[in-house]
Amino acid sequence: MTFNEFKEKIFILAKKEGFEAQIEFNGQQEFSIRYANNDIDQYTDASKFSVSLKILKNGKIGNAFTESFDNPEELFNEAVTSWKIIDSEEENFFYDGKEEYPKMRTYFGEFEKVPVKEKIDFVRKLYLSSKCNEKIVMVPYAMFKNFVIEKKMANTLGLNIEAKFDGAFSFAMAISQDTSNHSGFWFELGKKVEDLNPEAIGKKVCEEALSLLGAKSVKSGKYRVILRHTAFEDMLSLLRSMISAENVQKNMSPLKGKINKKIGSDILNILDVPYHPLSITNRPFDDEGVPTKEKFIIKDGILTTYLHNLKTAKKDNVEPTGNAIGASISPINLFIKPGNLTFNELVNKLDEGLIITSVDGMHSGANPISGNFSLGARGYRVKNGKIIGAVEQITISGNFLELLEKIEAIGNDLKASEGILTPSVLVKELDIAGE
Amino acid sequence: MISKALIQDIIGTVLKHGGDFAEVFFEKRYDNKFQLKDGKLESASSGTTLGIGIRGFLGNKAIYAYTNILNRENLLSVAKRVGEALGEIKILEHTFNFDDTKLKNKHIVYFYPKDIEKNEKVDVMKRAYYAAKNFSNLIKQVHIMYWDYDQEILVANSEGTWAEDRRVRTRLMISAIAEHNGNMERGFYGPGAGMGFEFFNRLNVEEAAKRAARIAARMVDADPAPAGKMPVVISNEFGGVIFHEAVGHALEATSVAKGASVFAGKLGQKVAAECVSAVDDATIPNAWGSANIDDEGTPTRRNILIDKGILVGYLIDKLGGRRMGMESTGSARRQDYTFAPTSRMSNTFILPGNYYPEEIIAATEYGLYAKTMGGGSVIPGTGEFNFAVMEAYLIENGKITKPVKGATLIGKGYEIIQKIDMVGNDIDRGQGMCGSLSGAIPADVGQPTIRVSEITVGGRNK
Repeated sequence: MTFNEFKEKIFILAKKEGFEAQIEFNGQQEFSIRYANNDIDQYTDASKFSVSLKILKNGKIGNAFTESFDNPEELFNEAVTSWKIIDSEEENFFYDGKEEYPKMRTYFGEFEKVPVKEKIDFVRKLYLSSKCNEKIVMVPYAMFKNFVIEKKMANTLGLNIEAKFDGAFSFAMAISQDTSNHSGFWFELGKKVEDLNPEAIGKKVCEEALSLLGAKSVKSGKYRVILRHTAFEDMLSLLRSMISAENVQKNMSPLKGKINKKIGSDILNILDVPYHPLSITNRPFDDEGVPTKEKFIIKDGILTTYLHNLKTAKKDNVEPTGNAIGASISPINLFIKPGNLTFNELVNKLDEGLIITSVDGMHSGANPISGNFSLGARGYRVKNGKIIGAVEQITISGNFLELLEKIEAIGNDLKASEGILTPSVLVKELDIAGE
Repeated sequence: MISKALIQDIIGTVLKHGGDFAEVFFEKRYDNKFQLKDGKLESASSGTTLGIGIRGFLGNKAIYAYTNILNRENLLSVAKRVGEALGEIKILEHTFNFDDTKLKNKHIVYFYPKDIEKNEKVDVMKRAYYAAKNFSNLIKQVHIMYWDYDQEILVANSEGTWAEDRRVRTRLMISAIAEHNGNMERGFYGPGAGMGFEFFNRLNVEEAAKRAARIAARMVDADPAPAGKMPVVISNEFGGVIFHEAVGHALEATSVAKGASVFAGKLGQKVAAECVSAVDDATIPNAWGSANIDDEGTPTRRNILIDKGILVGYLIDKLGGRRMGMESTGSARRQDYTFAPTSRMSNTFILPGNYYPEEIIAATEYGLYAKTMGGGSVIPGTGEFNFAVMEAYLIENGKITKPVKGATLIGKGYEIIQKIDMVGNDIDRGQGMCGSLSGAIPADVGQPTIRVSEITVGGRNK
């Protein structure tokens, strides 16, 4: 059975039982090579598809999924048994697809044409250039991955859209050694082959590992801190969760009641953008089929909107913002507007303090409900505007909203990772635990 | 399902085009995931996934492919690509001699996920909801998640393995949020087992829910934890996440074979304090991380990792074993067919010692009592770990005095296990999801109450 035949069967079954139905097809191809010990460590060549069904009646939704087109009845019945147990009185909706979708190019088709041999060559170069110096004792992994995603969505209200996405990313880790081991990591992503240069990424990986040689802990206390984009991008996942209208409505966000209130430094501007030239997660529609749109989340330090899906928008009596992603709400690309200072100027302005280059433990040491965090961290010490040594075995602690208020300067060194684009930021004061 | 003849053809096709070893992993699973908020069931999703992973080795090189387009033509073309990517050795005629001796199932299940009506599962969720919600006025939100699945797998390879297993797992996750004076804190407890719905005959649902509520209620008004180095007493059960992160991951062949682990080449050497012995045991009947066979078809076993401070074993899968020149320890695991298997932990814990937990607290003049641990992570290449303490108290003059929040513990694994100086007698295990190269898998962590003489606590400065 094809997807279209399967879809039609489901729609007929649903109509007969008085349901609206929405079906989504996701086709995925993935190719990746991981290198270690100067050889291919893992090589994955994959293709799969999945189909998910939502049925709607009386404002309630039942979900089911499958990975075969064999049995539309079974999928439908599974959704019905799920629908029957829902007793939440919250009203759910489908979207009819009547509005205009933003035009954007999300598929370039370049990486899937690159011969496997060239991809292996790419990873070998990445591996070798990550090992640029005899002080690098090991490169535990060097990785390249490219993907193609095909999405189709249709429902009984008339929604019928599809899009194709592709992209690639590459990263590696190097371990340098003196009296102990230190790790260096770098990540880059690309839409086109020319965006990714294995030697350039490898060089960064190597430099990062070497720069931590001689790293020591510091005395516990309060420090002025630069959160380099590589660290700040991880910490921004706290904001992702806080700006979800669902979490706000459920009393699970410290941003409740803060619309039009100042929650960050005057110089802080954060947007959700459906398209950014550096991103590989651009999307014209969200997972409910609603058009995505560009908007400020924080403008000059003031919270301007939460992110909504159809249900939360109706509840707050606002327009949906096109941010239904999977079962939750999320920005398409969280974009922190860069400032004017280069990274070196930022370090100059810091004068004395710490640069944090990476943090550990975001999934456990950060609490999106309170905004409190306590994270393992590493980076450099700065004195008189100059980097004077490396730091590790410390933690940074604080509250993320207080941190946003304490942002004193923003760099112009915008970096793209998956779904987040951010420069480095200078923070007036942060708690450090060390010796 | 896929026929034996087709599986033979897939393995044969890989070998015909390259490699010296070929393997097929077929998986069919059925999942239920329900979410309850504000006392009402808000979402319910159920469904079936099925697919196949095809893997080939040539020496130490591994190629993996997966697909869920299960027609013969596609499967053989994927198999051909795997063989071609391996290259070199081409085995034109492979003789199949499958050993399909059935293993005795050690993990008996009484009520399979499909056999129980969905609304019975919702009833359990509601019991948990009300128990947590009514625990205290401070509890403002309770979020209950229910997850069960029934996974059937088949592993066949060119060495003659033909092994099947069926894993059923059930878990209840309770998240309680307390609010007071503008502060919000979350408490979590997520008990689970390698069982069907009979799990709820054993689990005291209300007590489990209250435990999550207690954590949130106690922590909401707590002062920030102190910052700096101090002795830390870590409670039993989920406290074992410290061994899991700080040591366990570095004993996986994934790290050891590359020399990427600080424990590489240290077998037979003293790596931990003498009071520390630890095992990984996937044979415990119906435990959260148990299975009859691993995801390469090797029967699971109890692996002793550290015996009285001496390193005696690693966790090894087939590919890691090739690279290390050692046998598999039955430790290959993967989230599902979309991941190649690799060496992972199952149920990992520190064995009990002689002290009562009360004695350990009484013997500590000043320090942190980590009563409930959150999650954590580690960089195996440097040994640096971090983990969050969800519920902590200060110990002053041998007594637990006041709750403190926001403590993260950091350190290097190989240093910390040398600094364990007291091991209690109250062993227990807790359930978690472990994320690594081969995806997120159910894993038990465990330990009795232990004391570490010094860890950096990432709290706040006065």
